[in-house]
Amino acid sequence: MHNIGNDIVDLKLAKTASSWRRKGFLEKQFTKREREEIHASEDPFLKVWLFWSMKEAAYKCYTQSVKKRFFAPQKFECSILSSSEGLVVFKKMKFYTSSYFDTFHLHTLARETQKKGKLFCAVGVPKELNKAIKKRLAAAMGILPKEIEKRKTLVGAPLFYHEKIRLTKSCSISHHGDYGAYLFSLK
Amino acid sequence: MRVYSLKNTQNKMTKEEIILKLTTLVKPYVQNEEGFKNMSEDTDFINDLEINSANLVDIILDVEDEFNIEIDNDSMEKMLSVKATVVVIQEKMNA
Repeated sequence: MHNIGNDIVDLKLAKTASSWRRKGFLEKQFTKREREEIHASEDPFLKVWLFWSMKEAAYKCYTQSVKKRFFAPQKFECSILSSSEGLVVFKKMKFYTSSYFDTFHLHTLARETQKKGKLFCAVGVPKELNKAIKKRLAAAMGILPKEIEKRKTLVGAPLFYHEKIRLTKSCSISHHGDYGAYLFSLK
Repeated sequence: MRVYSLKNTQNKMTKEEIILKLTTLVKPYVQNEEGFKNMSEDTDFINDLEINSANLVDIILDVEDEFNIEIDNDSMEKMLSVKATVVVIQEKMNA
């Protein structure tokens, strides 16, 4: 099963809500190598949140199959491969990431495979996410949005159903501040 | 006041006292007010209080400061609920 995960960061909120300069903040979340890369970066703030969203997206990918929750950001080690591509390694497992950002937000997608299958993804307002997913699913499946029902797994991962049939193979929803984002693949 | 509260953390705190302090610490990060009103031992930070995972580390640092303890990575890994956090705080304070 090829799971996917995504994470959105509202950069304006990140600037005010948490301080990466706070004592212990980097040490708790990042490996020594990541911290060195953050300090050497031209924009340490952006690097912090890029790494963070890569870790979160990979975690969301991973917990869809293990069905267990935990908070161990340091165990997900990030490497930057190119301006948008990255790699997160957790217990010898690899997660391939793509990140996109502008002045307002940063969005990362993580996949368990290097193959880029058909993925559905968008950034919007947190409140409208479920509606947007249903609309998109309905269009892809040729059914009505109101016939689609959202359910959750025990770890809180979202699943979308049409009556007894599960529509999404893997699905991840993320919100932070003024932004929300979704990513899903079809069965 | 400061001296007194510092002294108090070195004595044994009851579970209820720890939860009370924890309630004050998590308040700034809570997104679900209904969940916060009903905060109990069974409350989950993410599912019930809708605290953003990006703020979990802030809570962990706040807990370290407030209870004057050091939280290692293995303990941090479990700190997603009030119950688990209370256990970690008790362990570290009694260590």
